[in-house]
Amino acid sequence: MTRWLLNGWVALVIVFLVLPLTAVVVASFSSGPPLAFPPPGFTLAWYSEINPDFYPPLRLSLIVAVGATMIATVVGTCAALALQRGALPGKQLLSIFCLSPLMVPTLVIGVIGFRFTLAVWDTFGISTADTVAALIIGHSVFCVPFVVRAALAVQANYDMSLEEAALNLGASPVQAFFRVTLPLLTPGIAAGAIFAFLASFDDVPVALFLGGSDTVTLPVKIFTTIEFSFDASIMAVATLIVAGSVILMLIVDRLIGLEAFLGTGRN
Amino acid sequence: MMSDTPAADHKTRLQDPDLAGAWGWSWFILPIVLFLVLFFLLPVLNLAELSLRPHAGPGAVGEALTLANYMRFVTDPFYLGVLFDTAVIGLVVISICLVLAYPVAYVLARTKSRFRGALIFIIIAPLLISTVVRNLGWFPILGGAGLINWALLSTGLITEPLRLMNNTAGVIIALTHTFLPFMILALVTVIQRIGVELEEAARNLGAGPIETFFRVILPLSRPGLMAGYLIVFTSVISAFTTPAMMGGRRVLVMSTLIEQQMRSVLNYAMGATAAMLLMTMAAVLTVASLRRARKAGI
Repeated sequence: MTRWLLNGWVALVIVFLVLPLTAVVVASFSSGPPLAFPPPGFTLAWYSEINPDFYPPLRLSLIVAVGATMIATVVGTCAALALQRGALPGKQLLSIFCLSPLMVPTLVIGVIGFRFTLAVWDTFGISTADTVAALIIGHSVFCVPFVVRAALAVQANYDMSLEEAALNLGASPVQAFFRVTLPLLTPGIAAGAIFAFLASFDDVPVALFLGGSDTVTLPVKIFTTIEFSFDASIMAVATLIVAGSVILMLIVDRLIGLEAFLGTGRN
Repeated sequence: MMSDTPAADHKTRLQDPDLAGAWGWSWFILPIVLFLVLFFLLPVLNLAELSLRPHAGPGAVGEALTLANYMRFVTDPFYLGVLFDTAVIGLVVISICLVLAYPVAYVLARTKSRFRGALIFIIIAPLLISTVVRNLGWFPILGGAGLINWALLSTGLITEPLRLMNNTAGVIIALTHTFLPFMILALVTVIQRIGVELEEAARNLGAGPIETFFRVILPLSRPGLMAGYLIVFTSVISAFTTPAMMGGRRVLVMSTLIEQQMRSVLNYAMGATAAMLLMTMAAVLTVASLRRARKAGI
């Protein structure tokens, strides 16, 4: 009896969790207005009529996410190596500092980025707002800690005797690092990088504050489109994002395991 | 290095200056420090300073340094109301999350079913899909001509469509959806740490499943539960995209208020004050939750 109640509850929660995602997919094939239920019929028309206005934002979102992920991966991995192996004073405080952007709401990161562009304009007369570089740097601020955390976590489990063995067998420290240590740390760092990519691709507030008419990311485009008019092809775009995300997740699940992936992401 | 015993402390060996030069590694901290000081720390200090300046017309602030903005925030019924609404929405969302999540987390923590992996996948999947897309999915469900109103109208339970969007109800539903997976995952870790033996012992001593839950499992999961509770609450009050999209710009919480002050009203001083308050709340709650988590041994 209790078992049935529990299973029923689980089923209910699953329905709740998948409901909006299912709705996006169903609405994208509906031949009627996108917000009406039930759909009067089904069509593929929306996919061939995707508003071309969505393509530049998609391209920009990918560029910004790749850029921010690259900066975050290099800077974050270096930081994690220094924190684990260096002879730094006040390591505890330093690692808190490296992770601190995670404690700050991304909206506030958007606000301070916005103020930063104003200050640069006032001081140097250079306009940095509404540029791709501003978006990449703004996103890097909250992407970096994801990689630091993941790289610290994977290093904590790394067996240093492997590196020592390489050294004893005649490898130089540089060889030992690049040919033994780094390959073993890569899955953890990759998990952090994927997290950073997803966080960048998900972001609205930072892109809203730093972007302008020339730099509209895909989430901002969707966010502002629904405010003014409900472009019917928006559901087709959203469905493609869902499909892309699910494929990425299946790959991550295969490679690292989704639970382990999330574990490294939010320790 | 030869004198190292196999039992030598992992950490001391990592910092062994002979190994790769601990001082050499230390330099690798420079990029992140430079990056975060320039693009994070200094801008935050700038924001703090801005919150101490008086408002002087749209997009301008005065020269004086004053606490007037903070005083105004905690005395003006408008700002206080926004703060109150933010807290209430946060509490409602985490409470619903908790009730929905607990049984699911329990099943996940205890099951040996082969469907566990699939279940975890379904629970985590929404987390990794773009927030705007997830919110968009609620439109055909909660809208005036959406699924819920269609179901209620066609069964004759209501005669007028319910307003479930562009108001607080829509915000709460979508926020619950956004943070439910976090709550489930946090609770799974907590419940897994409670030994099955304890449950079995309670059952052997004659307790029914309900008594076992309320007198054994729930009290034992309380410390970890508080940690999860705090972290989800923090995420809820920090969220911007969902309250803005689902509230249709009509629901003012701290985050939407800040955006409005900075981008439409152009009251930078009050916007900065609200941002400082939100940031401080989020930081304090995060630290509190990490402490609780450590205490609970997670």
